[in-house]
Amino acid sequence: MRIGLLTEGGYPYVSGEPGLWCDRLVRGLEQHKFDVYALTRSERQEAEGWVPLPPQVDRVRIASLWDAEDDGVVYGRRTRRRFAECYGELAASLCATAPLKAFGVAETAAPRAEATGTHDHFAHEADRFANALYGLAELARHEGGLHRALRSETAVRALERACRAPGAHRAAREARVPDLLTVAARLERALRPLSLDWYEDDGLGAVDLCHAASGGTAALPGLLARHFCEVPLLVTEYGVRLRAHYLTEPDASPPVRFLLAAFHGRLAAETYRSAALITPGNTHARRWQERCGAERAKLRTVHPGMDAAPFAEAGESPECADPHTLVWVGRVEPAKDLVSLLHAFAEIRRAEPKARLRIVGGPSGSEGAAYLAHCRNLAAQLFPDEADGPHAVGSNPVSFEETGGPELPSRAEAYASGALVVLSSVVEGFPAGLVEAMFCGRATVSTDVGAVVEAIGGTGLVVPPRNPRALAEACVALLRDPERRARLGAAARARALELFTVEQNITAFHNIYLDILSRTPARRVVLDDTGEPLPFSVPAEAHVPGRWTDAKVRAVARGGPAWATDTPVRATVRSSETDGSPGSGGPGGSGASESATGGGRAAVPASVVEVAGAAVPASVVEGALTVVPVSAVEGAGAASGSVAEESRATASVSATEGIR
Amino acid sequence: MSGLGELGPDRGPVRTEEVGTQVPSAARRVAADPVKALMHRHRDLCERAVDPLEIVAGLEAHGITDRTAARFRHRDVFSLAEEMYARVPRDADTPPRPTGRPTPRVQTAWVVLAVLPGALCAAAVAALRLTDGRPRLVAATAGTLAVALALRALLRRGPLSATARTSATWTCWLVGYALLGDGLLRAALTGGPDDLPDGTADGPWPVTVAPVLALALACAPAAASAHFFAVRARRKLAASRGLADFSAAVRPLLTGTFVLFIGAVTALVALTGAVLREPAAYPQALTLGALLLLARMLTVHGHTHAPALVITAAATAEAAAVATLFAARLPGCDFLALPVEALVAAWGPAGVPTAACGTGALVLLVHATRRLTKASAHAEPEHPR
Repeated sequence: MRIGLLTEGGYPYVSGEPGLWCDRLVRGLEQHKFDVYALTRSERQEAEGWVPLPPQVDRVRIASLWDAEDDGVVYGRRTRRRFAECYGELAASLCATAPLKAFGVAETAAPRAEATGTHDHFAHEADRFANALYGLAELARHEGGLHRALRSETAVRALERACRAPGAHRAAREARVPDLLTVAARLERALRPLSLDWYEDDGLGAVDLCHAASGGTAALPGLLARHFCEVPLLVTEYGVRLRAHYLTEPDASPPVRFLLAAFHGRLAAETYRSAALITPGNTHARRWQERCGAERAKLRTVHPGMDAAPFAEAGESPECADPHTLVWVGRVEPAKDLVSLLHAFAEIRRAEPKARLRIVGGPSGSEGAAYLAHCRNLAAQLFPDEADGPHAVGSNPVSFEETGGPELPSRAEAYASGALVVLSSVVEGFPAGLVEAMFCGRATVSTDVGAVVEAIGGTGLVVPPRNPRALAEACVALLRDPERRARLGAAARARALELFTVEQNITAFHNIYLDILSRTPARRVVLDDTGEPLPFSVPAEAHVPGRWTDAKVRAVARGGPAWATDTPVRATVRSSETDGSPGSGGPGGSGASESATGGGRAAVPASVVEVAGAAVPASVVEGALTVVPVSAVEGAGAASGSVAEESRATASVSATEGIR
Repeated sequence: MSGLGELGPDRGPVRTEEVGTQVPSAARRVAADPVKALMHRHRDLCERAVDPLEIVAGLEAHGITDRTAARFRHRDVFSLAEEMYARVPRDADTPPRPTGRPTPRVQTAWVVLAVLPGALCAAAVAALRLTDGRPRLVAATAGTLAVALALRALLRRGPLSATARTSATWTCWLVGYALLGDGLLRAALTGGPDDLPDGTADGPWPVTVAPVLALALACAPAAASAHFFAVRARRKLAASRGLADFSAAVRPLLTGTFVLFIGAVTALVALTGAVLREPAAYPQALTLGALLLLARMLTVHGHTHAPALVITAAATAEAAAVATLFAARLPGCDFLALPVEALVAAWGPAGVPTAACGTGALVLLVHATRRLTKASAHAEPEHPR
């Protein structure tokens, strides 16, 4: 399967936030081909270079969002009129009254009398936006010159007309000439993906699935690929772009903010409407997406995967923890509310005088440094230094440390040193530190912010934020009950290993790819030199996961229990089975199953290739087809298998361990 | 689908039992209208929000979750934010507009640069006048080079700088024609030229230095008027409410700027003519100056196509005029010289550049009054990276 991975300001480059995740995804799904289509945000980013790319990345196409080159096309009268129409529609759909109300409609407004009318109205507005967007895209595709046109007087005038139209939103009506110019320039920037030459048959038209690594601008090429080439789109959002837009645009004037927010809101709605599936990274993102019009049936939460390996040692040895030590790990900043933690610790000390608190982490930024100094002062005031005896040197029960030194080489050691991990934030996104503590098998007490409850499930204590007493009570309860601590820690580790590992992330995406492809296979007609459709040019096997042109590859993807494929395999290649008895029948994990595949199943894909290349008898293709549904449907299981008969014992092993 | 099971409403995370402790403080805190207190705490956010989702984003950044929203008797933060957005008092009068962008300061760097071509050109002309023979050749070459470099520097920064690339060749040709063209034309009509130009006004191929010096000196007023126009237009941009208002306000500004510049060039031509004791070549210098200024201003504001076209056309016309005179010397081609001869007979040798540059300047003036009065011409250039 060929995946078009769409990124913005991220993946193939070293910097950028979705980089690590995309890298793990691409490396994890080595049985697929990846074409990376990257939009870059700055010259600095481009100068930083790429991460090393694995061989399954076939090609990388880069377009810069910061440096649009003018192709010199000046529109004639008719084209200009067409552009003005499309742009005017776009602007009008942005200026319409209360556009964001529409997003709540799907769930809330049903019982009202006027609800259906409102709904129609908003559906109409959404259609208007989509039509205008695709109209502009078609214009850019056929005529070019969109960059210049979007900054031209025609565009500004269309914007003005839309803002002054009756029924325009109050904020839009106040727009003045500088606001209009700013909005036009920003829209031009946001619409630059429209002018790219990616939407041809040798570009995004050739992929089976577009996977946008974030919403917003990165999903725009996916939208157009779906529009022009019928390629299904998968959108993954770990942070909702629309929300980020609201938070990063504080200074602009109200009309600019309104129009840009309307644009991003409508773009998000259109993205969610067109996407085959949407994978939010957590419930918070999911709620925003539902709010912006995503259908619930399309949403599949895929938790971010984190590398569990560094924490395995700490997780397997819960006994090495000091039973009186509480640990806080993170970047020190005001949002972490360490003051509250220190006050809570004062109460804990009253109940448990032997308790100690380790605060591990450096400050983030100058604000964080000031906050850290403040916390140190507070700790020194609250807790006097203590010594074991009259002749020993004392120390403070609260210690501020940083990882990287000889005592604490890494965060895993920090978590391992404590019996209890505490999180006291008042603001939090997805709590990566908490998940690390879960990997370490430590009981946790955390505040109820962000995605904490979602991450912790029932495997730790959750208290309200800014409530030192509740925090203290929870901590004391756990400090006094080592058995409960152990129970919660083990449950937390099990939960984290089930939900937050890289492997589950990759498996989930693998299954989602198969899911999308089974429902919306890209139908492509390949023409030969004379313009006639070429029969069998895209055989059914093209959709089989795995590199079906490669003779050494598994015909069934990771996953797929061995018995599921046994019968068709024997039916088609009985001859090769005799010499295909692999020597490595023992429980060797994925390596063993790989070699078993190489020996026992080599003939299947090879014969299919020959047949498909020659495009002769339909029967063999039919025969191969019996394999296809099995792999596509049953292959969506969780294990890695595809093993010949006698290594069925291996299958159970690889089901548990050999996920990678 | 692995994560889906956990996603429903909280599956009951183990919460601590502090119900008893919360009740009194909650009773103390929760007044009759809890949302009002919340709105007061986040009043900046509420007042500047353009839609409810902006309030949601702001509230979430302050740590308010669905659990917090439940205390305000709302299902989630979204409905809480909707109430807050709906309850924000909105006055009928528009909020005070922020004052426009600060006007760019006049930097001494480009003021110096704007004067530099004129100064260098004056020095070169003085050197031409004071030297003879080989030193004069050296002075002419060095002077030309220095003026060209100074011009290049001027066009790189300050109000005359443009991001787009422009073709300097045809502009150089126009200036070169102003320097040598009239003399060449006159000599060609009388069967010359018999010799290469020697840098004097009375040689076999006379050189007219005065208009060129005037144009070099006019770089300063050109930069000043471009700066003036840009600054005033930006101020008008911030002040005007609609695009039509803006166009109406900028049109007289453009005309005024143009007239000011023409006045300055006229004065400079008169001055150089008097100092150099050459006949003041008003028509050629004025039309050429107008053409170059308009072309540059259009280029600065992003319209590169028309200026390049018009300058090329004017230069080609001048070149063609000279070429026809020489081509007419071929046997049987007498008729080629007729139009130019007629023109020269009516207007003198100055007629050729005046007609070419004047037509071009007129076209560009019309174009500029249409393009430079549009708001899109005054958009801030983006500074990415």
